[in-house]
Amino acid sequence: MINRKLAKFLSLQYVVLALILILAAAGLLLLPKYVKHEGIDTKELLSNTFSNERYISTDELANNIVNQDPSFILIDVRDSISFKKNSLPNAINIPLKKILNEEASAYLDQDQFDVVLYSNTNFYADQAWMLCNRLGYKNLRVLKGGINEWFHTIINPTKPTENMPATAFELYSFRKAASMYFGVAYLDAIPKKVVKKVVRKKVKTVKKKKKKKPEGGC
Amino acid sequence: MGPLIPNELIPYEWNNIIALLIGIAFGYILEASGFSSSRKLAGVFYGYDFVVLKVFFTAAIVSIIGLLYMDYLGYVDIGQLYIHPTYLWGAIIGGIIMGAGFVAGGFCPGTSLCGVAIGKIDAMVYVVGIMIGVFIFSELYTFFEPIYNGYFQGNITLMDSLGVSPFWFILFFTIFGVVAFAASDLVRKRVKKVFY
Repeated sequence: MINRKLAKFLSLQYVVLALILILAAAGLLLLPKYVKHEGIDTKELLSNTFSNERYISTDELANNIVNQDPSFILIDVRDSISFKKNSLPNAINIPLKKILNEEASAYLDQDQFDVVLYSNTNFYADQAWMLCNRLGYKNLRVLKGGINEWFHTIINPTKPTENMPATAFELYSFRKAASMYFGVAYLDAIPKKVVKKVVRKKVKTVKKKKKKKPEGGC
Repeated sequence: MGPLIPNELIPYEWNNIIALLIGIAFGYILEASGFSSSRKLAGVFYGYDFVVLKVFFTAAIVSIIGLLYMDYLGYVDIGQLYIHPTYLWGAIIGGIIMGAGFVAGGFCPGTSLCGVAIGKIDAMVYVVGIMIGVFIFSELYTFFEPIYNGYFQGNITLMDSLGVSPFWFILFFTIFGVVAFAASDLVRKRVKKVFY
């Protein structure tokens, strides 16, 4: 027995399919429009912001520079005047204003190197980090404390007092050595000219023992 | 979220394996729907069979509508998808040559391999012809190079070059496709039936 209604409906199957296609295409027009965010999700950005993983300490950075670690680049986000006054060795100057330029993105948006951002403190570097992280750039680090911290810890480290633990002294000697690498001179590290006193050796005269006369024996 | 491999939801190493699986499925469907028959393929030019037109038009419309919905829902980032670069005159001249070969031989390159797989002799001859064409092209490459690499337009789409809203364009394109299907059915009824 042929189900006539079904047969009639099936004869229309291509019309139905075509209508579905047209309806689906028209549905696209009715979708509410919204502007898409570029880069990472807002929630992800928030969790990244609270994470301390992005910070690199001055000691770590100094260690990397001294060991000539090739895996990172230093980006100075201050303006070019203060960059010319002082900067870290081999740093690249990308002022915060120009951080979205195409030239800057060649340095920032890549997978090969870690990017270490710094400014006078970590304030502007954090802002730069926030912008770049929002755009989905990878491997971004921020120098904790910036150049000020660098000066206080590496260039001019405070001497530990005697009641401090041994680790403090180790850290101090590391920082001191690092600062010498970066060109700081210490008075006590300069080898003093030692004036040798000419000391005459006292000649001890050894009196020869007089030979004993042989005594009688066996 | 997607595309899955560039966003590393699927490891990059699976790329070739997935491509192979999709390729096998594609070839199977081509064969199953009769695309390994040169008579069926050539029918679109002689007006007795419009399956090729219908299949490829439907594929294009379904995928673009599906992609836009998925982009809207956040499953696929449509900006990350590969868009084939346009070399204008290279595409036009190549298209004409390819079309002539299609009419004459009754296969397009993909379906000819499908035909070879089920042992059709005309498909094998066609594949040899492709190889000869490839050989001639590579020998005369320096001569063809200005056309091959010239007239570069970038990775543009129809919507970019026409400057219209993609949604309106797709609606228009869909309606155009459905009308073309209906018209092709009318043509097919008028043309003398060919049995193959």
